[in-house]
Amino acid sequence: MAIVELENVRKVYTLGKAEVHAVRGVTFSIEKGDFASIVGPSGSGKSTILNLIGCIDQPTEGIVSINGTVTAGLKDRALTQLRHETLGFIFQSFNLIPVLNVYENIEFPLLLGKKKGSKKETREWIEFLIEAVGLADHMHHKSNELSGGQRQRVAIARALATKPEIVLADEPTANLDSKTGQSIIELMKRMNSELSTTFIFSTHDRSIMEIADHVIQLLDGLIVEDSKTKAEAGSIS
Amino acid sequence: MFLTMKVAFRNISRQKKRSFLLAGAIAFGMMIITLMNALTGGAVINIRDNFSHALGGHVFITGREWTDAGQMIMKIRPDANLDRLLEENSGQIAAFTRRSQAMPSLIFGSQQTLHMLYGVDFVEEERLVNSLVVIEGSLAEVGKRDDIIVLPEPVAERLGVEVGETVLIRLETLTGQQNVGEVQVAALIKDQEELGLSAAYTSRAYLNGLLGMEPHEYQILNMFVTDLDQVEQFARTFREGLMAPDEEEEQIDEPEVTVTVAGVPIDPVQRTEEVTPWEGTRYQVMNINQIMDAVELVVGVLNRVGLIIFLILLVVTMVGITNTFRMIMIERTKEIGTMRAFGMHQKQVKNIFLWEAVFLGLLGCLGGLVLAGLIALAVGSISLNADPSLQFFLDNSRITFALPGKDIVTNVVLVIFTSLLAAYWPARAAAKMSPIKALSSHT
Repeated sequence: MAIVELENVRKVYTLGKAEVHAVRGVTFSIEKGDFASIVGPSGSGKSTILNLIGCIDQPTEGIVSINGTVTAGLKDRALTQLRHETLGFIFQSFNLIPVLNVYENIEFPLLLGKKKGSKKETREWIEFLIEAVGLADHMHHKSNELSGGQRQRVAIARALATKPEIVLADEPTANLDSKTGQSIIELMKRMNSELSTTFIFSTHDRSIMEIADHVIQLLDGLIVEDSKTKAEAGSIS
Repeated sequence: MFLTMKVAFRNISRQKKRSFLLAGAIAFGMMIITLMNALTGGAVINIRDNFSHALGGHVFITGREWTDAGQMIMKIRPDANLDRLLEENSGQIAAFTRRSQAMPSLIFGSQQTLHMLYGVDFVEEERLVNSLVVIEGSLAEVGKRDDIIVLPEPVAERLGVEVGETVLIRLETLTGQQNVGEVQVAALIKDQEELGLSAAYTSRAYLNGLLGMEPHEYQILNMFVTDLDQVEQFARTFREGLMAPDEEEEQIDEPEVTVTVAGVPIDPVQRTEEVTPWEGTRYQVMNINQIMDAVELVVGVLNRVGLIIFLILLVVTMVGITNTFRMIMIERTKEIGTMRAFGMHQKQVKNIFLWEAVFLGLLGCLGGLVLAGLIALAVGSISLNADPSLQFFLDNSRITFALPGKDIVTNVVLVIFTSLLAAYWPARAAAKMSPIKALSSHT
């Protein structure tokens, strides 16, 4: 079942008097539970596509459907609601809220919408996530007291806090060294397997994209390859 | 709401120096207006107290009557109705005095000076006798002999007279004849309360004799009430109780601003031009609030000037807050984008900024109040050797500060409102920011 569908999507930006065709008509779908990677060089349209899926940008043309909801024409409130209920985000530069500690950063998305579950359940869930990303000892640390890898782990936990259907990660390893980057991708993969959350991440690192079971390759705003493979069991530690 | 408050509160401590400067600017404005309000508030209380003390009461009753020759004179004869009112309202009267008064020439040798002279019943006015600070001589004789005078030390110095010597009193009787009397200086006293209300005292019976009045008559009945809040009602009781059947109630709304410190609180003779003569005594009842109305009018103007200064400071601060919040908005663009991405609504983003403004305002108010309190404490502890005319504003030579709670609340509300107004546009701009643009920002 497709959880994300893009149909002939185009995105044109205006830069001064010039028009930039970031996405030139792409069509693809991502199934629920996929660990999908959008691959391509800089300027190929990876981030634009993630932004469109993430409902933080709207296509110039075409249809973007998230979990059955077509995003075109939705008002800001509805888009915000959709983002909150369906999507989680992991950013290249982590984007943690600096005034909040690890626990509070992860709790943050949960406080934005209607309360689900009791306080105790919420606390247990956040603690589970912190444990899962291996930061139990850093629960009360602020972001500036963490390393890059640790920050990204917090970001992963935060993205999963609302139990979203889809987690979008825009080049999550770009600001990390290769070893840490690998461990972050492995963590995401584990979360994908354990929680059945759909992960869509962009990267231009070929070694990382190989871990994905669905790879969409872009070049100059167009899809050059859309391949689905099954990751071999045991490849994730 | 809790989340936005929490983030806003934490944001305050993020750029401590900047928050400190902003709150400091607000605190400065708050301090100024608080001190201004408290100073005028304290001055009003001091003026009221000093007036009451100087005029010998909170409620003043004078009597007027016409002579056979068609002259209006000011005196109160023994009156059963007045005695009844005094008796009936004794529970509300802390003390009362019955005095005569004149502004005679005091002459000693070749020196003479005009000076306020009260004719008092020294036995009845125990409170006065106890309050006089004797520098030379004694008050032991004042209740026993009539032909004695108690002089303020500066007056004695001007005349060159000493205790035991005789001073000549020259004055006009109530009906305008010249009269002269001799009194012996019993004591020299410190000028009362240094209020510029220097007065000499002699026995009422003796002064009455010189003024052409009977010994048991007097000119002013002054009363201290037990509850100053009830002074209007108390005065009304007497006004109504003493009104003659054919008498129309006088308009007393207009405060008698010509009341002077060295004189009587009212001068009925000047106020009753072109009136038809009447039979018997007519009374005029004034209270301290009527005198204070004029003072409070001045204080009101002062407070308004303070408010204008405060508002100017607030506007300057407001510009600072707006600019700072615009800067903050730019600094936190990516953060705003992140929060929006995770599902924070525009209103919530706006609220973070507004809460920050509220916290800054509150912090500034708190700082301003603490600063004002410290300054008030420091200034209030200094004993000022000020000009006697300024002593009216002081309490025992000290500046006092009094600030009603409602003034504090008003100022705090004003500060918060201004802070909110200053932060509103940057907050709105932050809320309206597109998430994609915010996330693409390099700040």
